[in-house]
Amino acid sequence: MQKSRRFFSAPNKRELLLPALFLAPALAVLLALSIYPLIYSITISLQQETAAGVTWGLGNFARLFSDNFFLTALGHTFIYAVAALVCEFLLGLGLALLLNNQIRGRGIFRASLLIPMMLPAVVVGVVWRLMLNPNFGAINGTLKQFGINTESLTWTASPKLAMLSVIAVDVWQWTPFVFLVLLAGLQAIPQEPYEAALIDGSSRWQTFWHVTLPLLKPSILIVLLLRTMDLLRVFDQIFILTEGGPGFATETISLYIYRTAFRFFDFGYAAAMSFVLLALTNVISAVYIKFLQAKETI
Amino acid sequence: MKLTLSLALLVIFTSCTGNTQRKQLTLAVVSGVEGEALKQAAADYEKQTGVHVSVAEFPYTNLFEKELIDLKARTAAYDLIMLDDPWFPRFAHEQVLTDLTPLLQKRGKSGPDSDFVETSLALCRHPYKSGSLYALPYVGNSQLFFYRKDLFEKYLMKPPATWDDVLEAAKTIQEKETTGANGGQVYGYVERAAQGNAAVADFMPIFWAFGGEMFDASGKPAVNSPQGIAALQFMIDLGKYSPPGYASFNADDVGAHLLQGTAAMSINWPAWISSFSDQTKSKVIGKMEFTTLPGAEKPGQAEIGNWLIAIPRDSHNADAAVDFLLWATSAEQMKRSAQRGNPPTRKSLFQDPELVAKYPAYPAQLRSLESSRPRPRTPYWNEIENAFGIFLSKANSGDLTPAEAMNQANAEIEKILQRAQ
Repeated sequence: MQKSRRFFSAPNKRELLLPALFLAPALAVLLALSIYPLIYSITISLQQETAAGVTWGLGNFARLFSDNFFLTALGHTFIYAVAALVCEFLLGLGLALLLNNQIRGRGIFRASLLIPMMLPAVVVGVVWRLMLNPNFGAINGTLKQFGINTESLTWTASPKLAMLSVIAVDVWQWTPFVFLVLLAGLQAIPQEPYEAALIDGSSRWQTFWHVTLPLLKPSILIVLLLRTMDLLRVFDQIFILTEGGPGFATETISLYIYRTAFRFFDFGYAAAMSFVLLALTNVISAVYIKFLQAKETI
Repeated sequence: MKLTLSLALLVIFTSCTGNTQRKQLTLAVVSGVEGEALKQAAADYEKQTGVHVSVAEFPYTNLFEKELIDLKARTAAYDLIMLDDPWFPRFAHEQVLTDLTPLLQKRGKSGPDSDFVETSLALCRHPYKSGSLYALPYVGNSQLFFYRKDLFEKYLMKPPATWDDVLEAAKTIQEKETTGANGGQVYGYVERAAQGNAAVADFMPIFWAFGGEMFDASGKPAVNSPQGIAALQFMIDLGKYSPPGYASFNADDVGAHLLQGTAAMSINWPAWISSFSDQTKSKVIGKMEFTTLPGAEKPGQAEIGNWLIAIPRDSHNADAAVDFLLWATSAEQMKRSAQRGNPPTRKSLFQDPELVAKYPAYPAQLRSLESSRPRPRTPYWNEIENAFGIFLSKANSGDLTPAEAMNQANAEIEKILQRAQ
């Protein structure tokens, strides 16, 4: 306390120099790699390039509302995020509850469950693309062994099944993460509340609903928050699996932003879309965080 | 501290000046067989002339963005760049390329020599065919029609001259050829309709043959003409004889089906030809034949897909670069590139006996190239191809009817053009 008071009341140049020197590289990196690009992208999102030259204004943002591709991609992003989040959460919670018990081979189960999460998304994409190939893939190959007609099961090639396929891959890869966080949360819950519940004669369901779930809430909200942010900006697996196809069926906002920027070279419009995605992510995160804080004060 | 700083500055300074003192060129190439040939040529050039040529290699999907970002930022990082021909109008439109004519005149040439195939050279001019010369053609690809000679002979069919012949043959083969190379069925045809480049490249030859045009005489999009819709309907009809899931196929899926002997016909690029005689990959050795594209209302025309080499406007070494460019595209050097697996852009080389012995499809390739058509020359091609490809893919996967797909595609293409105004 005394030290910090001295720091503020009598700024000694010599003493300031050293911390400033230590901070300088980090600040320089932050300035160069985060703050400058952010400001730059705000300025280009307000610029539209036309044959007559550059015009300033909100044209890029206005264009969003009449852009069918953008609106469809936005819809896809939400379908993808909600479906994957629900599946990952329910499966992850189930697995965490199961493996929190003393069952035989628990260590092996836990370790093997974490493998998908450790693979790079690109590797996951390539492996699943091969497995989902309708003609040579392992999945249809296996189904054929059981005598199932796979003629119409073209997975990533079918407009009806493509979204399901990419969601399934995300669930496969990221359920372990949900499981891991929730398991850690479960193990941090002390035994006393359970003993109290047992003495009060509550059923297993009541114990789960009134003891486990409320105490697990902080972990649940953290994992939902992290997964939601990740899902809204999903890019790599989908890019590898379907490249947004067939016929736009799995195009998400991130893919469309990438295409607009690096294929069509319309950086202003791509920046405008990025800000919309950022705003949406922020709003959703704020709702989660508010929920988390409200529950904690009770 | 001061010492290290001044040392660092010294190093930076000397390395900068070093560039201009020693002759050095930097080349941006695509990874793969096309770029590989140019990379080897660069090494040969260094040995012959002492000019150091450093090569920056990028995968196809990144090359366009790397080059355009660099050229627009005017970093002068590259002295020569490889361009896929549909990108060329964008680069020319952005005015980031060097006009080659003054540099050729300095060397006593009035223009590129007449041995270059006209359709290839036309791609290097902006505006198309008539404008200034901003590049030279290096790799002369154009689409070919691939078909199984043995199956055509077995069922007593003539090589397909029209798309109706193709449909008929696909039907015959699919119905009769029930035991293929790996015991399974043989599909009559293999199309590719993954959104984007794949669907558009596979569709354009049918579209043109049916009399479709992407833009009418006044430059307005016209893909939803009756001819355009009929062409898309035909693509879908032919799709009934294609392996299921072709609406998400890319070139490698088409190649795999042909190599495995599970499909009998397709449109494809010459780069695949050599793999059919590769014992480790091919189950159809000696059974494939290559010819020009079938016609319909109009004679068949292939889509051209050449690799061009251009000099960025901000290159500090334009003179040295043009020397290298002329050397690399000379008949002698292009022959070496051909021997390394790239189709040339010179008529004399397509007729070179040594090369024809090695590549028997060269006469067909030259016919296809000389009668080929470029993709519409517009700076907004990437955006148009993306939108068009999405609707073609949707129609092929059964999401939209051909008329719906073409009407929606037309509206989107119109929007893109309006924005550019």
